[in-house]
Order: sequence, then structure tokens, then C-alpha cells
Amino acid sequence: MNNNAAKAGSGATQAGRPARLSLADWMPKIVMAPTAVAAIVCIYGYMIWTAVLSFTNSRMLPTYNFVGLDQYERLFMNDRWLVALSNLGVFGGLFILTCLFLGVMLAIFLDQKIRAEGAIRTIYLYPMAISFIVTGTAWKWLLNPTNGIEKMMIELGFEDFRFNWLSDPDMVVYCLVIAAVWQASGFVMALFLAGLRGVDSEMIKAAQLDGASIFTTYRRIILPSLKPVFFSALVILSHIAIKSFDLVAALTNGGPGYSSDLPANFMYAHAFTRSQIGLGAASAMVMLGCVLAILIPYLYSELRGERHE
Amino acid sequence: MASLTIDNVKKRYGQTEILKGIDISIEAGEFLILVGPSGCGKSTLMNSIAGLEDVSEGRILIGDNDVTYASPKDRDIAMVFQSYALYPNMTVAENISFGLEMRKVPKAEREAEVQRVADMLQIGHLLKRKPGQLSGGQRQRVAMGRALARRPKMYLFDEPLSNLDAKLRVEMRTEIKKLHQKLGTTIVYVTHDQIEAMTLADRIAVMKDGEVQQLGTPQEIYDNPTNLFVAGFMGSPAMNFIPAKVVEQNGSYALELQASKPTVVPFPKPESLKAYAGKEILLGLRPEMITEPQPHKEGKEFVVTADIDVEVTEPMGADTMVLTRISEAEVNCRCNPAYPAKADETIAMMFDTSKAVAFDKDSGKRIDN
Repeated sequence: MNNNAAKAGSGATQAGRPARLSLADWMPKIVMAPTAVAAIVCIYGYMIWTAVLSFTNSRMLPTYNFVGLDQYERLFMNDRWLVALSNLGVFGGLFILTCLFLGVMLAIFLDQKIRAEGAIRTIYLYPMAISFIVTGTAWKWLLNPTNGIEKMMIELGFEDFRFNWLSDPDMVVYCLVIAAVWQASGFVMALFLAGLRGVDSEMIKAAQLDGASIFTTYRRIILPSLKPVFFSALVILSHIAIKSFDLVAALTNGGPGYSSDLPANFMYAHAFTRSQIGLGAASAMVMLGCVLAILIPYLYSELRGERHE
Repeated sequence: MASLTIDNVKKRYGQTEILKGIDISIEAGEFLILVGPSGCGKSTLMNSIAGLEDVSEGRILIGDNDVTYASPKDRDIAMVFQSYALYPNMTVAENISFGLEMRKVPKAEREAEVQRVADMLQIGHLLKRKPGQLSGGQRQRVAMGRALARRPKMYLFDEPLSNLDAKLRVEMRTEIKKLHQKLGTTIVYVTHDQIEAMTLADRIAVMKDGEVQQLGTPQEIYDNPTNLFVAGFMGSPAMNFIPAKVVEQNGSYALELQASKPTVVPFPKPESLKAYAGKEILLGLRPEMITEPQPHKEGKEFVVTADIDVEVTEPMGADTMVLTRISEAEVNCRCNPAYPAKADETIAMMFDTSKAVAFDKDSGKRIDN
């Protein structure tokens, strides 16, 4: 009886329903469409366009005169590119390791139930809220031998104090590391602090009863259980390192000479100021390759992990 | 194996006193259970025994050693936690041998010990797995294995079964009891489950508000609770508390209840009621002491048959609980399922007051001790 009534009801509305239903069905798609189109065109479309251009001999304007892998060959013969790549190796390696080390230490110290933890946490996290341009500019003043830390130390009476890495082609890349570490280690700290807060306090008690010292407890039990956090931090830091452009632009502008160039600066210089779009596109593709080499294993393990659960 | 003495232990956090002078002592090899509602201080006391929390006053002795200020690792105790607290990055074997490794036991000996423990707990096939790949019951076993491996003087169990489902909990409870019988080691066990306390313990300490209400064997606590709290906490369903008037009868004292009709029941220690003559007290009567009329008990001392008004019946298979109202209090009776008690009818019940206890209505203290 109930069933019959339901059937009769659905019969009555049958004429009106499919149209209404399809509008409701389509609504989310319509709303999402502009964003999807923008993403497809502006991200993936231009990515493909760049890939195509990297196989052409385009100079000031894009042309479609395909030359195969010539641009890549030129790229890896180019001294400036090799400097940029080795800078990326030094900068990326040091930046990631120092950030991880400092971030972990800060998080551990902050996790000792200290007073004013909230305020201190905010102070350490704040640099992340600042743009790399601001960081670069501020550190340019600090590291400038004629008016920064060196001058201050000399005025304090340390006449022989020298800290001129910013103007030393061999050392300038370490200036990038200092500024980037200052900016990003607070963020790593926040990641690890969240991880440490999730550690079961009974596990730490168990380790204490098992006779492990605090150092051993962290080294053998707590930090290994934060492996996923390490992984996330590593991925975030390495993509920051690879795409770093603004920091170099603000802090050293690639100088002295091109000794502090990173691949992103190389790409920008060739594609937009030196009329070498083909070469710039090729360098962009190499950078994309680096990012994917890190992201694909990460996404793979993340997605597989989800299925596992 | 070692005895445990807790001597006037107090614990304060600022102004709040969590433990208000705890005195407990047990012999070597005894199974002590700390039981009580949440917030009664039982976990704090357990942590103090383990050395994970300092005490503000008093002494803790394990065997003859004063360990009040010793660090946890020097007390030679092992603990099983509620969350199991296994190290997630280590395999089961590594979890079990970690404590030995920290004590610099040689590798060959560690491996032999892991094997011994694994055999005892039947977890040999799990040794290479990580805790994440184990079920709740298996993790529980590994946590016990980790405690067993060091052969400590004493084991502490902090609500170890409360994360398991009901069936597994009963199984593991038996396992723990068997284990204690086999090892004969001193165990201190915290739980809020009074059935666990009754089944496992050699001695139970019932705690409330940072004080030990009663320390005794399970049967003592069940039969002779010192106050209303202990009486109500131990036993399921709980003891019935029936308001009753003390009346004089043939030169002695008895208790008058309002069942279906006013009923007078005798009391095992009538002289203790003298001070309360004419006043109301609370009669404590376990549900199994109110049953259907049983011919073999007929005419015995302290046995009275009276009519009651049935409110609800709850068949439990082996017994049927009959809920009634006597002197305005809800009362549970435990009957044979065959007895035809029906809701809203009046039926005869047999009251056996040979094990009845009496409490002061205001203070909740036992009268007849």
C-alpha cells in the first residue's frame, strides 16, 4: 500500500523531474568549469607548449622550426647552466639538511612543556609568512659587507672581522642557504611539532621503563615513528629549493657574475631577457623533470598508502 | 619476585591532593588490583609505583629497597600499558628485546629470551611483523611479552584489557591469570572493571577520591564491604540498598521493609542495630539473596518469604532478573528462569538475610561490624 502510493507519486512528478534533476546534476560541473578550464590551459597547456618549444630553435618569439634535442645539447654545454645546476646541488642539499636538522631540534626543544610556547612557536613560524623577496632584501642588507653584520662587528671593535660571502663568488651560494634556512626551518619545526604531539605518551613511558635515555628514546623510538613527517618535509623543501627564483633575484641577482644563479634564474634570463626561448624552455623542462622525480614517488606512496588503509 | 609496600603516599598537584595517604602492602607473588571509578587516583598511584611520577610524601618499597626516589629504570619493574605503547617502527622481536638491549644484554642471550617469551605467549609466528600489522589481541600479547622479557621483580598492568572487545577481554583475562599462576610474580593491576578485579585478584584495593576505601581479598570485599561505596561498586548487578526501619521483636531487633505489604526480616547481628532502634537504616542485600521460594531453604533461620510487586523482568539465560520496588528503592532479584514472574503482577519471593549488611543512612558506613 505504501509502495503503491510512492509509485503513484513518482508517476505524477515524472514529467518535471528529469529536467530538474539534470540541472542539479550539472550545477557543480558548471560552477567548476571555469577553474578547470583555467587550470588545464594555464598549467598543463603551457607546460605542453613549453615542452614543444624546447624542441624548436625559437629565439625572441616562438617558432615551430623543430631541431630535435639540439637545445638540450646546447644547454648542457652551457657553463652558466652547469654553474646553476651545481649551485642547486649545493643549495638544495644544504638547505634541506639544515632545515630538517634545525626544525627537528626546535620542535624537540619546544615540546618540553616550556612556558610561552605559543608565542615562541609564532615567532619561529613567522618567516614562512614573508615573501622570499622580503627575506632576500633583508638578508642582502645584513650580509652586505659595507653596511651589514661585518660593519657592525668592526664597529664593535673586532677590526679583523670579515664576513663578505655575498661578494665572494665561491661563497655566495651559502648566503642563499642562510636566508632560505631562516625562512623555512620554522615551518619544518611546525610540521615536526605536530608529529611529536601525536606520539603516544605511554610509548615514551614504556621506553623510560625499558631503561632508554632521553637521547636514545628520541633516536630509536620517537624520530623513527615520525618517518611520514620527514618524508613530507623533504618533499616540500626540495620543491622549494628547485623552484627558488625570487630569493636569488632579491638577494644576489645571480651575482657576482652568474656565480649564484639557480636553474630558475637561468631559465628566466634566457627565455625573457636574452631572447633564447628554446634554450629557456629546455632548462624549464629539466627543472620539471627534477620536480617530478621527487613528486611521483611521493604521490605514489601517498595514494598507495590510502588504499592500504 | 618482591613484596610491595606503599607507606602513607601522598601526591599533590598544587593545592589539589590526588592521593591522600595511601597505605597498601602485599606479599611477594601476590596479585593486587587497584580498582575504582575514573579520577580516583589509581593510575596516579600506579605511575608513582613505576616512578613515572614523583610522590609528594611517603615511601614506596619494593622488597626491602626504598625506591621512592629511584628512577623508573632502576626499579626493576615492567609495565603493560592501556594503549600497549608498542614501538611502531620496530618488529615484534625488537620490541621485546629493546629493554634487554638497553641493559646491554649480549645479542645471543637476547635472542634466546625473545624465543622463550614468544613460546610462552604463542607469538612465535609474529616476531618479524611490525605492530601495525597485528590485531588488538596480538598487540596485547606482544606488550605482555615485552614486560616478561626482562624478568623483572614486579609487573604493572595499567588497564591492559580496556581496548579489547568483550569476548577477547574474557580470553585475555584468563591468560593473565594463568600467566600469574605460572610465573608467580608480584603483579599490580589497575582497572575500573570490577569483574576483572574479582576474577584476577589475590587482593583488591578499592579506591575513591584518592583514598583506599577497602583492601582485602575479593571474597572479603564482596561479602563484607566497609561502606556503601565499596558495596555498590563491587558486584554486578550491584547490591540492593533497601531503606528499612529497625523494630524491636521478641527482645531482639529486626528490620521492617515495605514490599507488597509491610514485612519484617531478621538480621544476622541484631545487637548492632540497637543504637538505631526506631530509625531507618539501609539494608544491603545482594540480588542472589532474593530468589523464588526454594523448598530446601524453607524454615531456615534468616529466611523469609514475602510477596513483591514485579515491575520488570530481564531474562539473562541462566537467571532472570526481577526488578521490584521495596520501601521506595529499586531492587533486583535473581530468580530461576522457570519461575513465572510477570510484570505488574504480585509474586512470592524468598529473602535470605544471612549475609545481609547494614549501613548508616547518612554516613554510608557499615553498622554491623
